[in-house]
Amino acid sequence: MISIKGLDKWYNSLHVLRDINLQVDEGEVVVLIGASGSGKSTLLRCLNRLERADRGEIHILGREINQTDKDLDQLRQQVGMVFQHFHLFPHMTVIENVIEAPIHVKKMNRRAAERLATELLQKVGLADKMHSYPHSLSGGQKQRVAIARALAMQPRVMLFDEPTSALDPELVGEVLSVMKELAQDGMTMVVVTHEMGFAREVADKVVYMDEGRIIEQGTPEQIFGAPQEERTQRFVSQIYN
Amino acid sequence: MTLLEIFQTTFIGFSKAAWQTVLLTFWSLLVGTAIGLVFAFCKISSNKLLNGLAQLYITVIRGTPLIVQIFAIYFGLAEFIVLDSFTAGVFALAIHAGAYIAEIFRGAIQAVDSGQMEAARSLGMSYSLAMRLIILPQAFRRSIPPLGNQFIIGLKDSSLVAYIGGTELWSAGLGAAADNFKQFETYFINGLYYLALILLFTGLLRQLERRLQVEKRGTQG
Ligand SMILES: Nc1ncnc2c1ncn2[C@@H]1O[C@H](COP(=O)(O)OP(=O)(O)OP(=O)(O)O)[C@@H](O)[C@H]1O
Ligand SMILES: [Mg+2]
Repeated sequence: MISIKGLDKWYNSLHVLRDINLQVDEGEVVVLIGASGSGKSTLLRCLNRLERADRGEIHILGREINQTDKDLDQLRQQVGMVFQHFHLFPHMTVIENVIEAPIHVKKMNRRAAERLATELLQKVGLADKMHSYPHSLSGGQKQRVAIARALAMQPRVMLFDEPTSALDPELVGEVLSVMKELAQDGMTMVVVTHEMGFAREVADKVVYMDEGRIIEQGTPEQIFGAPQEERTQRFVSQIYN
Repeated sequence: MTLLEIFQTTFIGFSKAAWQTVLLTFWSLLVGTAIGLVFAFCKISSNKLLNGLAQLYITVIRGTPLIVQIFAIYFGLAEFIVLDSFTAGVFALAIHAGAYIAEIFRGAIQAVDSGQMEAARSLGMSYSLAMRLIILPQAFRRSIPPLGNQFIIGLKDSSLVAYIGGTELWSAGLGAAADNFKQFETYFINGLYYLALILLFTGLLRQLERRLQVEKRGTQG
């Protein structure tokens, strides 16, 4: 479903991604872990071309993503993204946030879009907030709206960049449980997170990154239980202390 | 002649002229807002030519007196086309205000969190669609207070059109004072008309702001 080959990226002289090779299969949940600045967000953002890699190839759904802008907009409809800081549209109500892209990008009619949005908002437990504005929601609620907004485009892949890092601890659970449900429904997901419990429980594959490199990847049992590389061992033992 | 008598004798003339001022201001700010929007886009565009053009326009307008611009347009363009003083006034004021309005819009657009554009693009919106649906509505709301300020300045600036033969409020003041030789009193009353117009406009603006605030609050997503 996603195949990354020999990806390199520089910010000026800073080599942020080094020869990244990664495969994500349909229905798989891949969790990216690693220290701050290791390039996790950059890699994720390359997947929907919010950032452009300097070298290498990314195929998503069988298509190379270094394409013209028009094809890029098409690609992005297939790849949903959830951000650390939500980025809800503050001038729109919750339901407007969710239906905006289906109506204007997919040309879905308003009635159908509203039906879909209502369904999704029920799924994330926010049916009663449909007509509220984002400023009146808690962080956890905002993030759940952001997930519903991304799902409304009916993407084949969902990218999450630290979706719970900006939340108060007591609000983390409600967002993670929505993500768990999504994973159980078979959504292909790439998730950057520091929530190791989530990684252990939900991930099919855990990828450990350091200084722009993938150091090690494997099942949660392998990475957390029996890491092969010294750097992974150090990172994992730090987490559990 | 007392102040009251001067007020009475100038009332009809000043009222008519005030209406001219309103029209002059309205049209010039309408055109100026359109110009401002176009140049704001030029200035944030990645096209070097458009960028340079916008920079040049803004630098020249901000760097020269309005009266010079009005004269340049009225007398300069008279070589090519015949412009009545109202039309020339509208264009001169519009071109002048446009430079400031462009900066207001540019600032407001750039003040919208860059995450908004990223979120919109990640949903598959094109750049222009994201601008139209997501960025501009937020930017417009932010530009209302500085825009209101600019409109007040524009209304007062319109007085300079008197010097190319306009028939607006200040020219009526000049005419009346020349007739009655009561300079101070006449100009004082003339100024009160401007004050009244501006208070009226400020009131309308405040209502608009309040309505927008009740409708849709908050800038945080
Ligand atoms: N736009 C940018 N310009 C220059 N350098 C950048 C830019 N974005 C990120 N970087 C740098 O690239 C490196 C990788 O950043 P990235 O955000 O991908 O790390 P991360 O693993 O997501 O870290 P965190 O856990 O803090 O989010 C960092 O050193 C960062 O400072
Ligand atoms: Mg990051």
